Amino acid sequence: MEITVKIFRYNPEKDKRGNYVTYKVEADENDRVLDVLEYIKGKVDGALSFRRSCAHGVCGSDAMRINGRNMLACKTLVRDTGSNITVEPILGLPIQKDLIVDMEPFFDNYKKVLPYFINDSPLPENGRERLQSPEERARFDETTKCILCACCTTSCPSYWANGEYYGPAAIVSAHRFIFDSRDEAAEQRLHVLAETDGIARCHTAYNCTVACPREIKVTKAIGEVKMAMMTGKLD
Amino acid sequence: MGLKRDVSLSTGLRYRGPAGYLTFILHRIGGLGMGIFITLHILASFVGGRFGGAINGIYENWAFQIFIFFCVMFHAINGLRITILDLFPKLLDYQTEAIWIEWAVFIPLFGISVFVIMQTALGG
Repeated sequence: MEITVKIFRYNPEKDKRGNYVTYKVEADENDRVLDVLEYIKGKVDGALSFRRSCAHGVCGSDAMRINGRNMLACKTLVRDTGSNITVEPILGLPIQKDLIVDMEPFFDNYKKVLPYFINDSPLPENGRERLQSPEERARFDETTKCILCACCTTSCPSYWANGEYYGPAAIVSAHRFIFDSRDEAAEQRLHVLAETDGIARCHTAYNCTVACPREIKVTKAIGEVKMAMMTGKLD
Repeated sequence: MGLKRDVSLSTGLRYRGPAGYLTFILHRIGGLGMGIFITLHILASFVGGRFGGAINGIYENWAFQIFIFFCVMFHAINGLRITILDLFPKLLDYQTEAIWIEWAVFIPLFGISVFVIMQTALGG
């Protein structure tokens, strides 16, 4: 089938602002949008720039706005988008070229929530792993699935309005460690999230949950962190 | 070099969000509408005279009253949903259903209110 693909283009060496270029290409309904972009780059316009790596929904490189909604190009099929596809960069991050955005501000916010395991207590007597029950592990299982693609954060209107807001992805990463029974820095992270640009900027638009390609219940994770902050309990 | 991160209002509104995004936008419009109403009300009382009467005429108009009623009622019901979900995060598993319930509560209540306002306005 012939499809029409409208792609946002921006060349920082030539353009003052972005524009849209339309391509008509042949595609199968089972092709992914990433396949279509690869075809255009390989056969039609080699200057087209976009990020991709694993191409299987694991690395999170190819987050983009497809028909107005954040998705991973490698997980979106042509049969689900229809024969008219509009592809644009994700919102709220500076655009470097075409569909490539500068991810640094996103990762700067991510780093603020201490997204790593902290436990300064001595190891157990046998000197081996810190044990955890299946129930304790299940408590934060959902948020271990995050691949930091930025689909959630860049779909959030609060983040569009204020780039200093940590954003849903950072809060999800904080959730992963706050509710880990082996970690000892929950209080520290809750303190960070209580800052002006922290969790209070979530105004429950719910765009993040729908945008997440890993189907993480982002707003639920944020809600649990809010509750932990209010009650001081991690149950 | 690169384009700035700025997201314009029109770009933001064009984002194809879920049902929750619509309620998010309407919540803001509701807040803005109430702000406009209160400002007009204070202004009318403050300046008085013909100008004050003219302002009174705006917000006492039935069409404006329907708009304000929408703003107040939607803002209140949506705020109640958000508060309940914030207090009981487990219910966030059903956030889409919560939005449908919100509309199911809002539409009949607002419908009745519009009917009463219209009846009074048109009936003299």
